[in-house]
Amino acid sequence: MTEEDEAAFDEFLAARSTALLRTAILVCGASATDAEDMVQSALEKVYRHWPRIRHDNPEAYARRVVVNGAISRARRRRVLQEITFAQPPETPVESPDLGLRDVLVTELRKLPARMRAVLVLRYWEDLSEAETAALLGCSVGTVKSQAARGLARVRARMENLEGASA
Amino acid sequence: MNVEEALRDAMAAQVAGVQAPPSLGQAVRRRNRRHVVRFRTTGAALLTAAVAVTVPVVLTGGPGTAPAVGGGQGTGAAGQGAPVASASATGSGDTVAVPANLVPDMVGKSVEEGGAVLKEAGYTVRVTKVVSDRDPAGTVVGQTPAPGTSAPPGAAVTLIVAATAAPTPDTTAGTESPGMPQDLGDLGDGRTLGGVHVGYLPEGLEWGKWSGKDGFGTRSYTTSWVEPGLEPGMYSVQMVVYRKDAAKQFAKRLQGFAAQGAKPVEAGGRKAYLVSLSEGGDQVNDGGTRTIAWTLAPGVGVEVMMSPDYVAKLGGAAADRELKKIAAEVALAK
Repeated sequence: MTEEDEAAFDEFLAARSTALLRTAILVCGASATDAEDMVQSALEKVYRHWPRIRHDNPEAYARRVVVNGAISRARRRRVLQEITFAQPPETPVESPDLGLRDVLVTELRKLPARMRAVLVLRYWEDLSEAETAALLGCSVGTVKSQAARGLARVRARMENLEGASA
Repeated sequence: MNVEEALRDAMAAQVAGVQAPPSLGQAVRRRNRRHVVRFRTTGAALLTAAVAVTVPVVLTGGPGTAPAVGGGQGTGAAGQGAPVASASATGSGDTVAVPANLVPDMVGKSVEEGGAVLKEAGYTVRVTKVVSDRDPAGTVVGQTPAPGTSAPPGAAVTLIVAATAAPTPDTTAGTESPGMPQDLGDLGDGRTLGGVHVGYLPEGLEWGKWSGKDGFGTRSYTTSWVEPGLEPGMYSVQMVVYRKDAAKQFAKRLQGFAAQGAKPVEAGGRKAYLVSLSEGGDQVNDGGTRTIAWTLAPGVGVEVMMSPDYVAKLGGAAADRELKKIAAEVALAK
């Protein structure tokens, strides 16, 4: 690792780390602290290979490591999630003044990790279906179906909420 | 509002206040160092003992005769043609009582050249080697006293010289990673070193095909075991065996763990400390490297550490179980 590599890595962090951290929070549905730990660990992997990858779209590489790290972390907490998940979605809205955003974020958290990752990559990172598929290592068809199912679930929740407040 | 937009909006709102801390780069580098095998104790960074090369210096007079002006004082100092930057400090004025030269800057030069110039200038040259993958072996990477500071003739100047840790890997052992020391040569299965045999290792680990000697104090031995495919320089499990003087230092560190409130655990009938250690290896610290350390026999200390990646893979509790199991099966070699 040369001085120049180190400087380039710092530049990369300055430009991209906030975006990576935000994506990590959304994908793993964790607190900022947890996500930060995860992003650190992902960026450590990036740093290890930095001299090799810095000229070859390091951002895509970093995003892939972050997203995959977030998915596996979210899976580790799956037992907890499934307990939450077991509640039928038709239960009345928790609190009538809970904002739509909170409801959607809560709903997003309840999705399986990979489905959530698809939604985050498609609608937060604005990646195309092909890019999302490449990043997650699955087919475009899987991205389409996961996105559709995830959106359907979120939509159902939204309509449920609108129905309740109407 | 359609669902995609609502979702986008909700996601944006959720993370709007999040900013990566400026300390992130530092944290990442610190983490990186925890994944890399350690050749030596941090701080000291001494691979080989300093070698003193004393050069007899003929001085035209004792310190009392100072200030000698210009060339007089520099008899031993400014050799002809040698690129000595040591403009005689004493030549400039008569208020200086002790003859002193400005230590020339040797950083970036080869150790031979740097040593020769310093000897010409009348200094005692010491050489300290550090493992460096940044600089070509034999290059001076630092020096004390610093260039440009004044030091009297005869003073010791230490050149810090980059060393490639490994001899050039020979062709028969293509799997050896360049840059890794091979101080103990071929260890076979890599489980016996420093008079200690490792009876148990977690499944799937193989010898990292390197070994270091005396990096953690005089008479210390170290090597690591890795999951196949791990990049060179990384470890899954690393062990250090301490003997002689290194064992004494190690015993002090163990006392330090106790003083910091670490509770001993039992491993193979012996009292061991299972702790997370900071980079320097002497502070118990939550985010540190998982390490088990114990005294195997009088004058023999052993420390086994696990890389954070491998701990994450096994899971914290399982990693601790494995560390205890490894410790329990370490014995003096027959």
